[in-house]
Formats: sequence, structure tokens, C-alpha cells
Amino acid sequence: MAPQDWMEAEKQGAVSHAFSPYTDNGGTSLAIAGEDFCLVAADTRQSEGYSINSRYAPKAYKFSNGAVLATSGMHADGHTLAKRLEQRLEWYEHNHGKKMSVGAMAQMLSTILYQKRFFPYYTFNILGGLDEHGKGAIYTYDPVGSHEREGWRAAGSGGSLVQPFLDNQIGHKHQQSPQVPITLEKALKVAKDAFSGAAERDIYTGDMAELFIITKDGVHVEQYPLKRD
Amino acid sequence: MSIMQYNGGCLVGMKGKNCVAIASDRRFGVQALGLSTNFQRMFSVSNRLYYGLAGLGTDVQTLSEKFRMSVNMYKLKEERDIAPTTFASLVSSTLYERRFGPYFSEPVIVGLEKDDTPFICATDLIGCINFAKDFVVTGTSSEQLYGMCEALWEPDLEPEDLFETISQAMLNAVDRDALSGWGAVVHVITPTQVITRTLKGRMD
Repeated sequence: MAPQDWMEAEKQGAVSHAFSPYTDNGGTSLAIAGEDFCLVAADTRQSEGYSINSRYAPKAYKFSNGAVLATSGMHADGHTLAKRLEQRLEWYEHNHGKKMSVGAMAQMLSTILYQKRFFPYYTFNILGGLDEHGKGAIYTYDPVGSHEREGWRAAGSGGSLVQPFLDNQIGHKHQQSPQVPITLEKALKVAKDAFSGAAERDIYTGDMAELFIITKDGVHVEQYPLKRD
Repeated sequence: MSIMQYNGGCLVGMKGKNCVAIASDRRFGVQALGLSTNFQRMFSVSNRLYYGLAGLGTDVQTLSEKFRMSVNMYKLKEERDIAPTTFASLVSSTLYERRFGPYFSEPVIVGLEKDDTPFICATDLIGCINFAKDFVVTGTSSEQLYGMCEALWEPDLEPEDLFETISQAMLNAVDRDALSGWGAVVHVITPTQVITRTLKGRMD
């Protein structure tokens, strides 16, 4: 709009031309903590409105200390956050002579997020790894760093579809199952079924899911194709 | 604050093998304040046709009374019970009549056709019918219900299994929605009978 049109616009009523620094790239992520494993997964579709930007833009990042961060929301902020986290991990290792524990990393992520309290990272994070006792640990965050350790969590555009299913199958809610800890086989089956379900009903979820299996032997990645429609 | 989220509540309908099921929660509230734990949002048209209405409470009640009137008139004139597909069209036209000032309610309809074939459908608030072959969901916890149904439903479930499936879908979905829950009711409709059960769930 040229300057001579601004007067006209004012007469019609205020017109907003604000630039928004945020965008929603969609997608679903989830994590499940087991007795001796941790499963972190996210789909790989990146969208904007009704368009697909990419069918393979991973939003789960592996770190040098064996932790995996699953992000959802804005891809640029998730990617940059992962970059900054890895930088902080490297500094820690050089300064302290050891790799950062998942618990320490979890606390650090919270402070990093809160430092941008007034211009937040538009990401809904789930951090997964093994704690100092070798047990699976996942930490969930809001965009400004409020966090909590949980047994299972789903986030992203399909989060509301997946979360109750995890409550039922991993948490045994509304069931009288014997309270045996969840096995890796069951967790993988539940995660894959969850992604298939989310891909059916959520337009932003699909193409492929990347599942990161964290055990004492390291991090193994599995790719699970999803519907591309 | 969306008008469809003012009172809260949800519904789910599922198809099984020669049977259908419909379930609803029982909460009625005004935004965060819960007021009733036995709000009726499912209604029977006949012993083979049930429907439910989610959304604004006053519209749930007004529409159920309007449908009761319309169906009774139909029965008097036609001297027969209304078929599920016909009732669905009746619901659709009643809602579309108010296209530019709609009722804030989204119905779910389940029943058995004349030849005992299961029938389910849902409409949006202005009457667009979704003829589903598996399940239909509506209400403030519709996303949660979609996730549960998509994962748990499989075709040709027997009445007892359909009951378990629809109940788990409802109970787990409403526990992740602040505006739904406070009890649940399930109707399972077969050619011979209707079994109504009240579910035991979290009352928070």
C-alpha cells in the first residue's frame, strides 16, 4: 500500500499490518519412559497453513549425552533451541570433564526457555533420556520453561488425540491391569498405533514418524512410514 | 470464549456387528463452574434410534423438544416409526433452517435400519451430515475422542466388546478435558434390546 492510500485506509477504519515472528509448523511428538529405556518420537511433516513445506523435516534431536529432545510448534525455534542446547552441552563437557546428566540438562533447558520469557521460543518440548539410575526419564515443558518429570506425554497438533490413548495404554487408566512396568515392545506398538491414529485425523500429522529408542547401549532410531494424505 | 465451549460436554457413537452404541458424559456447567452431574444429552426416538446433542445446553434442550414434536407428528401422519436416515435428514433441515443464526449444538445419531443394518451419523451445527462407517464424535473433547476411537475401534465388534470399547474411549478422553466428564452413560442398541449402563469414572 502506498502512502497516499494510508489516509483512505484510516477513513475506512484501522487496518493492521503487523509482522508476526511466529508460525505454526504443526506435527505431533510423544515420549514414554520405561524401567530401563526411553522412547522419544516425532513425525517428520512440516506444514504451514494448508501447505506442506516438507515431508521429512525431523523435529526430534539427538544430543551428545544420549538425550533426545522432541519439539513441536515452530520448527525454526525448535531447531535453534536444539543448536543452543548442544552448544551448552559441549561447554559443560569441557568445563567439568564429564557429560551432562539428563536431570541437569532438564533443569538447564528450563532456564534457557525462561530467559526468553518476553519473546519465547514457540516450542512445546519433551526431553527424554536415562536418569542416573539407568531408568527412563522424560521431562515436559511449556514454551517458557515450566517443567515436570512424567512417565508419558504427547505434544503438538495431535497431542490431544494421542495423550488419552497413552493414559489408557501406558498409565493403565480405567483398567484393572496388573501394574507391571511397560516393556519396550509394548511402548513401540503403542507409539506406532498412536501416530497412525493421529495421522488419520490430524491434517498436520503424517508422512513419517522417527522413533528414538534410548537404552544403556545408546540411541537407536527407527523410521515408521505414515499416510501421506 | 467460544459459545460451543460455554457449557461443555461430549458424545461418541460407534458401529458394531449388528449393533450400535452411543455414549455421553453428564456434566453441565457455566465455563469453569460445574453445576450438574446428570445433564441429559442423549434422547431416544424409538427403541432402535437414539441421538445425542452436544454444545450449548439451552439449544440441546430446545432441539430435543423440537425433534420430539416433529417425530410425533411424523408418527401420527405416517403411522410408522421414522427411519434413521429420514431422522438424520429431519435433523439436518431443522438445523439448516437457522443457517444465519444457528443452534449451537452438534448432534450424533445412532440406530438400526429396518433390516437391522447399523447406522450412525453426526452433523455440524448447521446440518451438514457426516455418514461415518466407523465412529462419530462431538463436543468439547472431540479431539481426545478422535484419538481414542481411532486407536481402539475395529470393525464388527460384538455388543459386549463394543460397550467396552466405547466406554474406554469416553472415560479416557473426558479425563483430558476440563469441561467434560462428571459421569458417563452408554446405550448399546441391538435388534432385540437396548442396554443402558452408567459408567463409574472420575468425578473431577
